[in-house]
Amino acid sequence: GKMSAPSMQERKACWGARDDFWRCLEAQGEDAARCQELRLAFEARCPQQWVKYFDKRRDFLKYKKKLESEGFHPPETTGKA
Amino acid sequence: GGGGRSPLPLWQRLAAVAVLGGAAAGAWLHLRARREQERRRRRARELRALALGQGDFELVDHTGRPRRKADFLGQWVLLYFGFTHCPDVCPDELEKLSRAVELLEADAALPPLQPLFVTVDPERDDVAAVARYVRDFHPRLLGLTGSPEQVRAAGGAYRVYARAGPKDQDGDYIVDHTVVIYLLGPDGLFLDYYGRAKTPAQIADSVRRHMQTYEPLPD
Repeated sequence: GKMSAPSMQERKACWGARDDFWRCLEAQGEDAARCQELRLAFEARCPQQWVKYFDKRRDFLKYKKKLESEGFHPPETTGKA
Repeated sequence: GGGGRSPLPLWQRLAAVAVLGGAAAGAWLHLRARREQERRRRRARELRALALGQGDFELVDHTGRPRRKADFLGQWVLLYFGFTHCPDVCPDELEKLSRAVELLEADAALPPLQPLFVTVDPERDDVAAVARYVRDFHPRLLGLTGSPEQVRAAGGAYRVYARAGPKDQDGDYIVDHTVVIYLLGPDGLFLDYYGRAKTPAQIADSVRRHMQTYEPLPD
């Protein structure tokens, strides 16, 4: 059957778990091995598709930051979701 | 040589100045009105040439009531296309849209603004799903869905790109889509658009300006 979309409460719980995990990664110099508990909590709170999506998003944000700090101006994205 | 001219009496000179001045003012006003009319006609041609949001749609709102595009004529509309399984962008944009509508509602001099959400994922976003979704945002946010054909037609009319990604083992997927909030005027025509970078205040300011300077387009 069709899975219900996450409610607002579930969305916020997912985003919170994601933010906790990301803060850990930043604090641990991107060492994912030191953030395993938060990773598991993130995967538990978010639909699998969202975990994949946020992983890709973070990679993109890191890449963008790297380009900006190295003085290269990336083309503007269309902001597709 | 010229002969001497006897000067006109003062009142006649004043009358002459008044008549000439009146004629000049009249001519200037007429010219300005003609320019305004030409500007409006040119703008009408440009907006029509864009052909954005043309055509009708037959969708269903989140209460199950059928809605056509004509139902919204006479209203200002802020329109967003998204889907309920959207990870972050759609809630953010709908939150922003709702805040903008609230800012404008605070000004009693402005006409009402109808917030509208149209799904790009009709396969999953049925009436019940859309109803559950829209209630988390502005109380007057109206959600629209329908058959895949009708939804595709509505999205196409507004040049909204939408493509469902691959399904995972749970059948879940993300719909990649254009992220933009459209402003429609009371004649149903597209007037402006707002991207991700716009804040609620910026959107409200722009909508307010459009409302205050709105002129119905000539046919």
